Amino acid sequence: MNEVIGIIIAAILCWLNFVIVDTYFGLPEQPGVKGARIIGENVEKRGGDIAGGLFQGNIVCSPDASAGTLIAAIGYLILGIPGGIIAAFFVFIGNRLCADPGYAGTVGSLTATLIIFICSFVGFTPEMFIVGMVIAILTIQGLDHKRASILLGKIAEKFNRHA
Amino acid sequence: MFDLMYNTLFFASYGNIYGLSNISISSFDVLLAYIVTILVSIIFALILKIPLLPSKPYRYSFDVSAIYPTPIIAIGIFSIFLVLNYTFMYNGIVLAIVIGILSALFVKYLFDFVFPKPLDGDEGEDI
Repeated sequence: MNEVIGIIIAAILCWLNFVIVDTYFGLPEQPGVKGARIIGENVEKRGGDIAGGLFQGNIVCSPDASAGTLIAAIGYLILGIPGGIIAAFFVFIGNRLCADPGYAGTVGSLTATLIIFICSFVGFTPEMFIVGMVIAILTIQGLDHKRASILLGKIAEKFNRHA
Repeated sequence: MFDLMYNTLFFASYGNIYGLSNISISSFDVLLAYIVTILVSIIFALILKIPLLPSKPYRYSFDVSAIYPTPIIAIGIFSIFLVLNYTFMYNGIVLAIVIGILSALFVKYLFDFVFPKPLDGDEGEDI
């Protein structure tokens, strides 16, 4: 498969994976730690959405499905499916060290491993998912906090997880 | 031109479910051993009277339970043994049972000591 097309499709798959898992496990609902609430209120002050801001703050403050997807892709590159499962275990340890129950991170890495395994039959390689995940996080955290938080707030409302 | 890095990564990743690890038992045996690990850890956790589900609300509960941290810890440690290519006897089934039992014991007796619960929602680190 062409590398550029593969990276674009992998980025879309990673984006859907981590946003759906994180929203389902309630990241936009409440801040896990103090830093997440400060980031959320700051984003709201600049015209964003509080639920999207809390989502962004929680991603920064503890390894959730975003970090889980990235680490699972790296683990899959090195060690195959067992690597993805080891990544889920490590993400769980990291979550507990960051005062987070860790449901989103572990479920996110396991679903990412499954997605990469299924996509490997049609020619996707784990490197495409690593690059795609970096691009997916960039669209949430790097380009425009305000618009990204409004979009995340709308998704949170659909899942009935708005703050 | 011989490109070691590219060739290694290409070889490691091209549709290969085992990556760089050298696993000597078949993929069916690996799948079976994973299922045995999950089942043994859940059943042994229930025998040790760990509750099946975490306390409500589920999504914010720090309590251990039979279906959330126990199988994750069990399959994580089993994967580490697998990629180190140590599967012991009967295609890894014995190792799977032992790891399932040990992870249930860990969750019951040591988990709160290793990963203590945070004190309160608002008592995180101050700036």
